[in-house]
Amino acid sequence: MTSDPSLRLCQAFRIRGLEASSRVVFGPHETNLGEERRFSQRHVAYYRRRAAGGAGIIVTEEAAVNPSDWPYERSPLASLCERGWRQIARAVHSEGALAIAALGHSGGQGSSAYSQTALLAPSRVPEVVSREIPKAMESRDIESTINSFARSAISAITAGMDGVEINAGQYSLVRQFLSGLTNHRGDAYGSNRLLFLKEILQAIRSRTPNAILGLRLCIDELAPWAGITPEIAVEYILGLANSIDYITLVRGSIYSAWATRPDSHVEPGFNLPATRMIKEALKAHDLSVTLIAQGSLVDPRQAEDAIADGVVDAVEMTRAQIAEPDLVSLLRLHGLRARYRPCILCNQNCQVRDPRNPVIGCIGNPEAGYEGADELPGNFLDTKPLSKVFDDQPENEDSSREPTGTERSDRAGFRESRSSPPVIVIGGGPAGLECARTAATRGFHVQLYERSHRLGGALRFISNADGKQRFSLLADWLEGECMSLGVEVILGVEATPEHLSAPSRAVVICTGSRPGRLTFPISADGVVIDPAEALNNIGSIGVPDGSHLVAWDPLGGYLVLPLVETLARRGYELTVVTPDLIVGTQLSRTGDLVPLQSRLAHLDVRMLKHHRIREVSADEVVVEDIFTNRRSSISAAGIINGGPRLPDTDLWNATNRSYDRIGDALAPRSIAEAIYEGRRKALELPLSISTIGSTVSSGS
Amino acid sequence: MTMSRYPILFSPIRLGPVKVENRIVFSAHLTNYASNGLPTAQHAAYYASRARGGAGLIITEEHSVHPTDWPYEKMIHAWKPEVVSGYRLITDAVHQYGTPIFAQINHNGGQGSGMYSRLPLWAPSPVADPLFREVPLEIDEEKIEEVIASYADVALRCKQGGFDGVELQCSHSSIVRQFLSPATNLRSDQYGGDLENRARLLLEITEAVRHAVGEEMAIGVRLCGDELIEGGTGITEAVEVAKMIEQQGVVDYINTSIGVATATLFTIEASMQFPPGYALFIPSAIRYATNLPVVGVGRIKDPQQAEKALSEGYCDLVGMVRAQIADPDFANKAANGTPEKIRLCLSCNQECVGRMGLNRWLGCIENPRTGKESHLPPRPARTRKRVLVIGAGPGGLQTAIAASSRGHEVLVLEATPHPGGQIRLAASIPHRAELFDLVRNQMNTIAELGVKILYETPGTLRSIKEIDPSVVVVATGSIPQRPSWLPAHLYFQDHIQAGSATSLSHPHPVTTFSEQQLPGVRELYPPSSGGPDKLDADSVEEPIMASRTVAVDVRHVLEGMATPRGRVVIVDDLGFHQATSVAELLADRGCSVTVTTSAMIVGQDLGITLDLEGWNMRAAAKGITQLTELVPEGISEGEIVFLHHPSGNRLVLPADWVVLAVPPEPSESLYFELIEEGIETYRVGDAVAPRKAHAAVLEGNAVGEML
Repeated sequence: MTSDPSLRLCQAFRIRGLEASSRVVFGPHETNLGEERRFSQRHVAYYRRRAAGGAGIIVTEEAAVNPSDWPYERSPLASLCERGWRQIARAVHSEGALAIAALGHSGGQGSSAYSQTALLAPSRVPEVVSREIPKAMESRDIESTINSFARSAISAITAGMDGVEINAGQYSLVRQFLSGLTNHRGDAYGSNRLLFLKEILQAIRSRTPNAILGLRLCIDELAPWAGITPEIAVEYILGLANSIDYITLVRGSIYSAWATRPDSHVEPGFNLPATRMIKEALKAHDLSVTLIAQGSLVDPRQAEDAIADGVVDAVEMTRAQIAEPDLVSLLRLHGLRARYRPCILCNQNCQVRDPRNPVIGCIGNPEAGYEGADELPGNFLDTKPLSKVFDDQPENEDSSREPTGTERSDRAGFRESRSSPPVIVIGGGPAGLECARTAATRGFHVQLYERSHRLGGALRFISNADGKQRFSLLADWLEGECMSLGVEVILGVEATPEHLSAPSRAVVICTGSRPGRLTFPISADGVVIDPAEALNNIGSIGVPDGSHLVAWDPLGGYLVLPLVETLARRGYELTVVTPDLIVGTQLSRTGDLVPLQSRLAHLDVRMLKHHRIREVSADEVVVEDIFTNRRSSISAAGIINGGPRLPDTDLWNATNRSYDRIGDALAPRSIAEAIYEGRRKALELPLSISTIGSTVSSGS
Repeated sequence: MTMSRYPILFSPIRLGPVKVENRIVFSAHLTNYASNGLPTAQHAAYYASRARGGAGLIITEEHSVHPTDWPYEKMIHAWKPEVVSGYRLITDAVHQYGTPIFAQINHNGGQGSGMYSRLPLWAPSPVADPLFREVPLEIDEEKIEEVIASYADVALRCKQGGFDGVELQCSHSSIVRQFLSPATNLRSDQYGGDLENRARLLLEITEAVRHAVGEEMAIGVRLCGDELIEGGTGITEAVEVAKMIEQQGVVDYINTSIGVATATLFTIEASMQFPPGYALFIPSAIRYATNLPVVGVGRIKDPQQAEKALSEGYCDLVGMVRAQIADPDFANKAANGTPEKIRLCLSCNQECVGRMGLNRWLGCIENPRTGKESHLPPRPARTRKRVLVIGAGPGGLQTAIAASSRGHEVLVLEATPHPGGQIRLAASIPHRAELFDLVRNQMNTIAELGVKILYETPGTLRSIKEIDPSVVVVATGSIPQRPSWLPAHLYFQDHIQAGSATSLSHPHPVTTFSEQQLPGVRELYPPSSGGPDKLDADSVEEPIMASRTVAVDVRHVLEGMATPRGRVVIVDDLGFHQATSVAELLADRGCSVTVTTSAMIVGQDLGITLDLEGWNMRAAAKGITQLTELVPEGISEGEIVFLHHPSGNRLVLPADWVVLAVPPEPSESLYFELIEEGIETYRVGDAVAPRKAHAAVLEGNAVGEML
């Protein structure tokens, strides 16, 4: 393994005379970490952590420039942010990164639920989901909004931020002015759609002449009949000429809010072709502007290539750094061969525009959003940023040493030999892997039993579904870390109470889940398919190829619909039966709800909404309308049981319930809970207690 | 003291150690007023204003007894000792009116999420809740002990915080109900199986709570009388449980509810589509079988209904939550012989229930003070201005009320012969009549304040200049708008404008403030709940026969200007009651009705007001077809063409009539004319941007308070 100090990603670059320590940007995004409409200490810790891990630029969560914009409850309000910006700037600067404040106004894409005043927009075009009709802005509204942008910029710069980034991307009034979809005005702001943005930029530049002025610009609204296209975007950029220091190129419109930051069904780097086109067009006009790429950039090689090819000067790798705050540090040390916790583009926990105000999190990194939050659930004993450990080492001292885990255990000053009693982890799914990995990081001798021949559990079988392949990356990383940390992995062995009879420090049961009870009778010859099983053996699911299957989906969740899609693509006929009025309700947070409808429609998957299954026989499924109780029957070769699962407690019961369970073995939930509980359990293992006997519970 | 019109309602009753002065209970309900898991000054002000208004008993929203119970963000964490100072704030504020206040304490069990706590849910069995869809942990006896102890701890904390009693929520969202119900309790130990076992947790909790708080505090249990789910608890078992509670002898009263918060919520906080008192069979059955005082609930919104429920023996006390959200002085107005002054709840569920489901603070469509009781009330105006309000819809009327209350001189001009604007139309539909109470309530206040309204008097620049007000507030509402995909010659509105149907805009004599005799002032709409006259389909002249497909707005149909027949396709681009209401109306008239929408469901916003289930059941019964994800592209001879956007396929539906529930446009020209003239002018409601009624009420109120 060689360190590659020459990665362009890791090189410093200059914007308006200020040096960014790397070309990797942590872009603006909603976190729900705020306290009311202010930045909180959790924000500060969250950004500091990414700056410490090597991000060159931190762009903070967008602050609304005035109270007429209150798009989500914890949306920062610029007039309340000066103190927060000051603390963030100080923290981020102390870690060597630049700090830029995102400023914006959501316009017609906001919500009136909190402000209780009409939404403002260039024209009265309702947003497609909320359908709220905005007020077409009067000239005085325009004037005051421009002033608000300038005032907010002054406040951010006064607080010590290095610059501001104006949002003309997704959820933005400025884009609504730029777009023919949303700007039908008859005045100067309609005949010249760029005017509003120009006036904002001028107002800011004239009052904060030394600060970085960035622009987040939509270059493709995916609505060519009236929306912004890359060609129009070029015109706009030319029109802005030298008034900006950088542009971050994004895509998406009111009709495609999901498309700006999509999940793994969309290829990483999807916006690079359009970005390249823009770059070339600007070059042809002899215009040189610093460009920053955005759009599922989670693969360092792709990001590196985009910079090396001259397409962009820097890359936003936001989700990649939510998952792995030390991404840049690791790349710096190990080049493209670095091992880092991968972003799998699941969007399950990091997309938080949801009325419940979930705080930002990460399915694979339970620390994300909880950095240094001592009093919160999820307090971790071990939160010192990894880079701090690196800082203690002279640079390039020993390029062959292993990353991550060992360093932490060295720091803990505690390391057990293979002869000492092990921490025994039963089950090599996400909970068991994370538990084993973390315990090994802390220096414990760890034995990991897995009954199948491969580690990864749910991460592996989900990755067999179309569009979900990236889940295996997380399994690969966990597995690789366990290996390098010396975890003793025992594959293909179903652990029994006898395996646990030897002395151990602790036993943790992570045996996962099994199919749940069905709420309707099945005849003896009725076929019931377990989605986990089917995904594990996607080639032979136990019914003839091309059969018609009924998928019972009372959850609208993450497991059965990916299977349905995968089977439909393999030639099976599928009917989804759900009590809901919408198929896939749980996917709304990931942004895949709308694209899913389209994929299922194109695959001719039938949907029977507001129905429940009443009985199943060998070739027939009886369903009932939940509103009318009318029954009908569907001929089908079998059903897929997409209902709630049950914990697999066989081993736990066989050992007199004396050991702790985590993850699905405790209560079947998502991978995020499994990994969180794996981490937590490993961090709770006491360092000081000597060997415990096999009959003793590991506590709590 | 004069004889009350409601003798039982205003008679005292004892709940164990606590004397309650009347039978009106402001029973437990979520508010989302908590901050960081603690009660706030807003809670105190909110409850205090209902105590001041005469409620006999106040029961707070639920407080969680255990860290594993955190189903929604703004839950009060009673397991934190620091809640006590907030408790003191609340109980002191309420006690200054001599009103007793109980705390409701609870553990939601499996009806929750680990999203906030990062902990697994606790429940009797690993049965996922139908709403939260998270599989809970089946708790062992050690954890059951922990739950019981946590109830006792929190009850004691409530006592320290000054509460007069505690109510255990064992009803629609509770681990206790989950143990009671065979649908969620699959255990085979001493806490599962027969009813005696399933009720064990409840009785152990009541025992422990009584032991903790002693005899000076009242203890109540709220029971679910019918879960309305398959294999769930019904009234027979509920009565048996009540008898066990009585026999145990530590509980002072029983409160009741119906349904399960996460499976059948629409039956718990029923909207106006349910008849009042629909759940009274539950307290009635329990009252018959036990001697404990029983609280009845379920869309009882006026004192007459409450008195009837009491006098007919259904219950001993009446829970009236929304009635007092809408009017904190409900009880005093009833007691003082002025029940007609009560601002009646509409049971619209838009800003109370509707905001709860979206994690927002509780409000009220017609009471702008709800949720803002801790803010200072508006001050009287320093200078008395002559305020001219154009339009007597909900926005205009609220402007007039707010401005007049502060001492301004207000005149309202209304173009039509009636107040109420679009509310009149909306309330003319089956199941929607009570919406008109919004206008009825406003008109009562208008009459009380002596605000004058000139009907059939459109505001024009000329007339306004003659009146010469100091301020004009434009509340002219909105008008139907032809969608861009629809050719003008097929749009009904354009036929009207071309024809003679312009009577609403004929010139009218202008009056001034100084005139005592105001020509054109019509009799105010009589203050009854009946709503405007029902449209009689048969008596409506059909202005245009559909020789080909004609598209009309919902409003044209409700106004009786168009009478669609035959095959009707309704386009729902608004997602609220407009499309579904007209669909039911036309289906009732014998039309063959299909409702389409570009969204994923028809009537998408009906979900939060709990109207969606009822709509779907009635739509199925009336043979109404619903088709989703369809974008209209155009109309041709006898048919309408759609794009099914997920698949890209075209769909053609035969249609004699197309009825449009589409965004209207604001009537804003007058506003701009006045601005142009340099007259101080504001606009409110749909004239700003067409939205729902609460926006008009709030903006009218805000402008009225600001002038």
